[in-house]
Amino acid sequence: MLETRHVSAAYGKLDVLSDVSVRFQKGRLTAVVGPNGCGKSSLLKAIMGFLPVRSGDIFLEGEPVPRIGRKKLARRIAYLPQDCFCPDYMTLGELIELAGYARYSLVGGPSERDRALYRQVLETVGLSDRADFPVNKLSGGQRQRAWIAMVLAQDTDVILMDEPVNHLDMKYQFAVLELVRDLTETHGKTVIAVLHDLNLTTAFADDVILMRSGKCLTAGPVAETVTTQNIEQVFDLRTQIFRRDGRLVCFPERAGHATVS
Amino acid sequence: MEKRGLFLLAALPILAFTLAAHLFYGFRPAEIPGLIAAFLHFEAQSYEEAVLLFQRVPRSLTAIYVGSISATSGVVLQSLVRNPLASPATMGVNAGAAMFLVAGALLFNIGTGLQGAAALAGALAGFLSCVAVARFAGRQNDPRGLSLILSGALVSMLFTGITNALLLSDPARRSDFLSWVIGNINHAYIDRLAMFWWIGAASIAAFIVLARPLTLILFGAEKAASAGVNVPLVSRAAILAAVLGSGSAVAVCGPIGFVGLVVPHIVRPFVGNNLVFALPAAFATGAVICLLADLVARQALHPYVLSTGLVTDLLGGIVFVVIVKRFYLSPSNRETA
Repeated sequence: MLETRHVSAAYGKLDVLSDVSVRFQKGRLTAVVGPNGCGKSSLLKAIMGFLPVRSGDIFLEGEPVPRIGRKKLARRIAYLPQDCFCPDYMTLGELIELAGYARYSLVGGPSERDRALYRQVLETVGLSDRADFPVNKLSGGQRQRAWIAMVLAQDTDVILMDEPVNHLDMKYQFAVLELVRDLTETHGKTVIAVLHDLNLTTAFADDVILMRSGKCLTAGPVAETVTTQNIEQVFDLRTQIFRRDGRLVCFPERAGHATVS
Repeated sequence: MEKRGLFLLAALPILAFTLAAHLFYGFRPAEIPGLIAAFLHFEAQSYEEAVLLFQRVPRSLTAIYVGSISATSGVVLQSLVRNPLASPATMGVNAGAAMFLVAGALLFNIGTGLQGAAALAGALAGFLSCVAVARFAGRQNDPRGLSLILSGALVSMLFTGITNALLLSDPARRSDFLSWVIGNINHAYIDRLAMFWWIGAASIAAFIVLARPLTLILFGAEKAASAGVNVPLVSRAAILAAVLGSGSAVAVCGPIGFVGLVVPHIVRPFVGNNLVFALPAAFATGAVICLLADLVARQALHPYVLSTGLVTDLLGGIVFVVIVKRFYLSPSNRETA
């Protein structure tokens, strides 16, 4: 289990996280939601050690994360940055092979077990026939799945994803999140994903963390946390929330327009 | 990606062929079997056999050393600086090494061994001054590393100026260094190669170990760190290996430019950016180019021998123009880049 306790962090003088205490449950998909600049990405970066933590602690299975070495941490937590960049002339197969770096010996490459894992990963993301294809020539949806494949090839129990469905059209948003959801359900991974869209959150996430101005306002299972009151507090937006086909739908109201229900 | 497989498969035979050409070109065909026997037993019984063993073999070893070290260092520096113009020659490394070596030899009369140490110190000093000038000029606001290249040019000019001043001030001894200072492969430098080869070997070993983490750094520091790479350590170790390896090459045969700058661009369209493949390809290509350049230097104006550094600068200049036009300015490539 991953946990932050009273974590505060800043970029220079700008406070981006203040006193954030959250627990991410094992084997569940937790969505981190909030308005732009509320500290969602910063929370992931603080966990990864990319953002200097001023006070507070971060624990992975009871162990302080900053004390786990880079290579050991890479075998336990994988991270998908918001904007991924792939150098030209790099194939999907190479991308995935590089992901296993933390498991390789000093001059050795992937083992037989690693190679079997990489084949399986490509199958999971539906890109088995694209292993020798340059990553930068894949379509947008395929490329996003390629990045997810890279994260999966790291073979960790915990996966952090910073806006994994950004820049994707609706079809691929659903396809990618369906895949992410499957990682928790059939592969037992703990996934923490920064999401923008509340309806995607309610459709796919188990738990949700609502953030605003660097603070965690509330956290818990989607059904109990996504409420009209909470959403108004976080986004300054009145919404109607109703249940349709077993999941919650958020319907924002336009200012000055009466909504017909 | 079949291009890559072909390139890597062809690299070794081409290197072997170039090496054979470098060793045997210019002899009469009838002499060749005897020369091969002399080569295999390393025993010279005639003038031609002595030329082969004591002039050409040292020259080819030196060419392979300089070519492979400069080319692999160029690949590593271009990857880390994220600028296509990065290389030992453009970042003050070669000029620094040359200046320290000449200063040590002319001002302090140091012997060959210490000259090598001076070249290594100079290579580091050249690189660090390049970084210092870039910082002073505001490197933080420059993600493409252009400030490093500009300050590298500045530092190189400064160091080369000092080297020239030192040489001019000592008319009696400057002729010892005159051909060395423009970069020259010469059998006389085999003693230096025998003394310093292990530095380059250590650099290559470091590159082999660092190839994968360096490739991950191409994806960005955070992605690399999340995959388990100690980014500051790997970057520093790779730069140190590139700088010291290049410094040792300068210590052997002077600053041979352009190979480190051009070879990465020849290799990249064929094998890609993954250093696991780009480094061996650059190793072989750099060696081949230096062997060819030295062959041209030796045979073009026979019986006069040109300075190899002049030939690499000329060849490199032409190849570079072709590369820029072919791979950077052609419309089809602008779309995919």
